[in-house]
Amino acid sequence: MGLTGRLFISLMIAVAVGSLAGIVWLWPRMAGRRLRDLASRLGLVAASQVLVIAAFLVCLNGYFVFYGSWSSLFGIGTPQPVQVARAAESSRPIVVTGSDLGPVPGGNSVLPVAANGALAGKPPHYYLKHHKVPQRRSPSGVGRRAGRAHTLAAVGEVLQVNLLGERTGIGVSSDYIYLPPQYFQRAYAHARFPVVLALTGYPNDPWSIVKRLALPATAARLVAAGRIRPAIYVMMNVSVAPPRDTECTNVPAGLQVESFFAYDVPQAVERTFRAQTGRSGWSVMGYSTGGYCAAKLAMMYPGQFSSAVSLAGYYLALKDQTTGNLYGGSQALRNENNLDWRLAHLPAPPVSVLVTSSRAGERDLPGTLAFLRLIHAPMRGYALLVRQGGHNYGTWDRELPQSLEWLNQRLTPARPHVQQVALGG
Amino acid sequence: MALTSSALVVVLAIVVAALLMSVLWWWPGLAGKGARPVLLRIAALCTLQLSVLSLIFVAVNRSQEFYASWSDLLGTDSGGGAIVATNYGAGHGGPGHGGAGHGGAGHGGPGHYGSGSTGALVTVTGSSAVAAPGWRRAPRGRLQAVRIRGELSGLTVPAYIYLPAGYSRTNDSEQNLPVVVVISGQLSSRSAQAPYSAARLSAAVAGQMAAGRLRPLILVMLPARIGPGDQGCLDVPGGAQAATFFSQDLPRAVGSAYRVGAPPSRWGLLGDSSGGYCALQLAMTSSAAFSAAVLPPGSYTAPPGPAEPGGTPQLRAQENLTWLLQHQPMQPISVLFVGARRTGPFLTLARPPMRTAQAAPGSGQWPLSPVLDWIGRTLSRPSPAGS
Repeated sequence: MGLTGRLFISLMIAVAVGSLAGIVWLWPRMAGRRLRDLASRLGLVAASQVLVIAAFLVCLNGYFVFYGSWSSLFGIGTPQPVQVARAAESSRPIVVTGSDLGPVPGGNSVLPVAANGALAGKPPHYYLKHHKVPQRRSPSGVGRRAGRAHTLAAVGEVLQVNLLGERTGIGVSSDYIYLPPQYFQRAYAHARFPVVLALTGYPNDPWSIVKRLALPATAARLVAAGRIRPAIYVMMNVSVAPPRDTECTNVPAGLQVESFFAYDVPQAVERTFRAQTGRSGWSVMGYSTGGYCAAKLAMMYPGQFSSAVSLAGYYLALKDQTTGNLYGGSQALRNENNLDWRLAHLPAPPVSVLVTSSRAGERDLPGTLAFLRLIHAPMRGYALLVRQGGHNYGTWDRELPQSLEWLNQRLTPARPHVQQVALGG
Repeated sequence: MALTSSALVVVLAIVVAALLMSVLWWWPGLAGKGARPVLLRIAALCTLQLSVLSLIFVAVNRSQEFYASWSDLLGTDSGGGAIVATNYGAGHGGPGHGGAGHGGAGHGGPGHYGSGSTGALVTVTGSSAVAAPGWRRAPRGRLQAVRIRGELSGLTVPAYIYLPAGYSRTNDSEQNLPVVVVISGQLSSRSAQAPYSAARLSAAVAGQMAAGRLRPLILVMLPARIGPGDQGCLDVPGGAQAATFFSQDLPRAVGSAYRVGAPPSRWGLLGDSSGGYCALQLAMTSSAAFSAAVLPPGSYTAPPGPAEPGGTPQLRAQENLTWLLQHQPMQPISVLFVGARRTGPFLTLARPPMRTAQAAPGSGQWPLSPVLDWIGRTLSRPSPAGS
């Protein structure tokens, strides 16, 4: 039973409500004035309170998806570097485990949520019925296959994928890739698309990027409005070994998370999709911990990423209970993961970074301003400061359109093939 | 009362306590039968539970600062801000309100940094012709003395670059050339007994090419120590970022100045006894930059030289190449061990996609010729699908 599944959430709510009903039912039996009665009232109310709180937390988690599964909450089946032969035997670094049609630009709804937070592909006629998809005339009539192809070319597709890093052996599952409608259009049949790697916060599930941040829906809307050009969005969990907070760090004698995002992920995407290769076709963005990672990856691997957006990120090297010892016990190595320290002690990398924060409501504002002040050429810093807004999706939703437009200006666009107009026929 | 104020937490805590006491105290009064007492019980319980949930929500929100204010929580905050080019990084002028368009798309094609870099990354300081030994009529290559500036590491390293006969930067008819990065402690040696000197290596390559056994390639030859504290081309925490220099700066710098193939499939490493650890370490940890390495046999459990200060067990394990071989996934690299004896764990423990081979050094005047043939063949192989 999935942690974020509708069944589990309903069950938890039912149990909580049931406990309340039980108290109401048993109420008269504990109505005495003795100490024992008082104690059993207290005990019963406390027990029911615990169940209500549990149901509340499960509901909150279902909404925000801090933890997408039991294993990411408790660390069962934590992915380890895959040994030896597996990397070789799997010739496909990306395996699609689910697919769904993309959001409708300007439509009433983004993607449907499956019960367990996964993607549930529905037949095209479902979408044709429930969304206003631009219809195209087909001489042979809209068959099932043709219908899907037409729908894909109109709304794009969101894929749920497993990804195996060839060099680091890190394998991750339940990440999402959004292919824009243009990816399926004939004019772009040979075009290579720019890629934006989007990272979650911690703890978080990448489904939040799809649903709460609504990155595909926002991108689709902006593309339809002509404000940005289409790109592939790769939406990943910033932690590759939940519940550990890995902070995109190459852990000495441990998971090489930095290399995973800097080399393995781009290579896997470039080998699987018509994605651009090279730095002018790749950007990285993220919120909170993902923001730190985005800035760090761009600064450390400017050969892969030419720009980064950090939504409410931080710029110091974190060390706490959830991260554990990421720096091999070395303060010097921890310094090298501190972006302020890097700017003060190492040459500035040739990348552009957009950082966002709020003048009121964001704890990391002073740290963000300090980071901006340290940026020097050839690095370029840009700031988007909203007047007010906390550390939540509501604030990031407001910052997202401008951030995507800023990214759009730094990415090489996919070039459509100019079609010759067929006359007659 | 602000959402994140401590006053709100205190007030809610008092409310919760008062409600709890009241429910427990007036419990018997609601114990009657009929609809009215039952409804009152339900109302009392729900009020209590909701107050507790509110207290928890406010307390957790206060510690994590998810929502900063009531308007933030209710979603009534609106409006964005303007993107400001801070210009701390622009290098000129004061802070400007350039908007999103400021700065524009200032980058070249794939693999090239933008206009931010200043000056050439490779400076040629000297040049001499290289004849193929024994082939008097063969066209001559060139041996350049250069200085390579690493943008990310900040290291500037003296190096030699061998360009094969007929090399011309503007000649597009030929394929981009493979690169062999030589890491050697005897580059500047003039001794005829030093096969890894820049002059002898260049002559050996020229000879093999003239004999038709080796296709054209470029040698980039660097000293075994490229910066303060550098031992084995590692990124020393707090010190020289040698691994960054080799894996990121060097491909970029050489690619900006010469017509070379793309890493990793066209890039290989060749280390002598002092550069062997460096070559293997780079191949095993930067296989996105290098696909082949040639070095003397050994187990390479630690970088050369004295142990660095401030090392920890984890850092030492990460620097132990035998440990890496046993604990990391196998890297897609080809490694040739050049030595008379079959030693070291690499030949027995390596599994695909890592390939290993062992060869005895050649004899005679040009002992490295067979090795150069091997690496030339390896770097000319068609690259794996898709890369």
